[in-house]
Amino acid sequence: MRLKRFLLRYFPPGIILEYEKGGELKTKAIDLLELSPTTDVDLVVEEIQKAEPLITASRTQQVKQLILRLQEKIGQQDSRQFYLFKVLRAHILPLTNVAFNKSGSSFITGSYDRTCKVWDTASGEELHTLEGHRNVVYAIQFNNPYGDKIATGSFDKTCKLWSAETGKCYHTFRGHTAEIVCLAFNPQSTLIATGSMDTTAKLWDIQSGEEALTLSGHAAEIISLSFNTTGDRLITGSFDHTVSVWEIPSGRRIHTLIGHRGEISSAQFNWDCSLIATASMDKSCKLWDSLNGKCVATLTGHEDEVLDVTFDSTGQLVATASADGTARVYSASSRKCLAKLEGHEGEISKICFNAQGNRILTASSDKTSRLWNPHTGECLQVLKGHTDEIFSCAFNYEGNTIITGSKDNTCRIWR
Amino acid sequence: MGLLSILRKLKSAPDQEVRILLLGLDNAGKTTLLKQLASEDISHITPTQGFNIKSVQSQGFKLNVWDIGGQRKIRPYWRNYFENTDVLIYVIDSADRKRFEETGQELAELLDEEKLSGVPVLIFANKQDLLTAAPASEIAEGLNLHTIRDRVWQIQSCSALTGEGVQDGMNWVCKNVNAKKK
Repeated sequence: MRLKRFLLRYFPPGIILEYEKGGELKTKAIDLLELSPTTDVDLVVEEIQKAEPLITASRTQQVKQLILRLQEKIGQQDSRQFYLFKVLRAHILPLTNVAFNKSGSSFITGSYDRTCKVWDTASGEELHTLEGHRNVVYAIQFNNPYGDKIATGSFDKTCKLWSAETGKCYHTFRGHTAEIVCLAFNPQSTLIATGSMDTTAKLWDIQSGEEALTLSGHAAEIISLSFNTTGDRLITGSFDHTVSVWEIPSGRRIHTLIGHRGEISSAQFNWDCSLIATASMDKSCKLWDSLNGKCVATLTGHEDEVLDVTFDSTGQLVATASADGTARVYSASSRKCLAKLEGHEGEISKICFNAQGNRILTASSDKTSRLWNPHTGECLQVLKGHTDEIFSCAFNYEGNTIITGSKDNTCRIWR
Repeated sequence: MGLLSILRKLKSAPDQEVRILLLGLDNAGKTTLLKQLASEDISHITPTQGFNIKSVQSQGFKLNVWDIGGQRKIRPYWRNYFENTDVLIYVIDSADRKRFEETGQELAELLDEEKLSGVPVLIFANKQDLLTAAPASEIAEGLNLHTIRDRVWQIQSCSALTGEGVQDGMNWVCKNVNAKKK
């Protein structure tokens, strides 16, 4: 084994080692999820050196420099105020979801008008219109981090795979018997998982365009799914009140997370795949140990349905959005509520962190999006302008651009 | 509302819930009717660019009413909403005689849709508060409603503005959905 070079990953903080083994180029990541600007660097280097044979004594100085660079990046304060950069009168009917590619150079919007559009973030120009679906385009994703492909899931029961560069459709995946409402690429970008109102999830092979697996077992609609960071687990959240954990690629169900007393609205892994967070109409959010499938905490406090849940990129914070018009931030380790985000005048249906973890963005039926400090709960900015409720919102990786998609048929870029 | 609530309303409705699709040409008064049903303010209504959904309780039913924009360019998208429809309500501006042919054509096309086959249809002859409004009988005749044989149907004159006739129509809906749901 021979170390070739280091790659730096800012968010979540980590060092990627590129090395040679038996003539093959490989990579492995050293996660530094708890690194902060005040962490003792020499101690961290020492620990890494102990645990990682590729880091020899001669490399320690280099590693130290990398960690200092990460600390500098993490410590950067950003008091940016966003302004409305562009209104994209994108679609002739309401938007559904929006998503960025990894670099943030382009983003996509799905709509009731049966199209998905690809946009250039810097100019706000439309790059492609992906046409072919026969009903609402609901679930949309880039195959991040690559970003050269787009998957769209539609109420027409099909999923389509497109080239992000040319807008050409590679495959149409047929097999679901009801609306497709959620989808995800695995991190290797070899598979697409789709979840449907027909109560099943399916895995599709990107190369061949064939169905690889059907995951059956839920008793009601699947409305949320996500892969873990390594791609060997998939979780599906269902209106049957449960979440299933599936082994990939075997398709074996290894856990069913039972405990919620209402429909699931969202289910997410944290970065190191140790925890699963689930949000439910039963007004609570639960944390589960992903290894044994046991519930380790119930996060309470909301007075109405919890509509979305998300981890920050390091997995230290959990944020929930509720129909009660508030959002909450909890510590993933202490499970205590750290902050209550109050101010919206309608239900909050989407919540996300920026990659840096120092801002939260919420989308609400009160026609505004709001920016918050996750640690203090302070509302930093109200993004006003949409004339109807906001269905979706997203940060780019840099954290300096926001997009919002609304029922008012427009998408807005804020930066 | 949020996307998730839309998904919940997309499910085929349980026994005591009814999914109602409200269609008709632009300016027929669909949104006014929806707001009248929900007892909301009807003084500031603008053309619907997408859709509105409201749930109202009536005779032990929860009526989930989908009001879909009627402008010509978005009419091809009406079929996005056909799935799981229990009752179709078609709204006509009874005073806009110039567009009777157009509205008749749109209705005929809807009745031909496979996904709406057998679905009970209530036609609201709206805007009866206007002096120039054609009576329901004249509209029924002009639209050849008597030729509809593949489903139950009813025409009801009403004014979404004053509320007159609206409840009678909804009573018919509840009575007839009952038959179908059982």
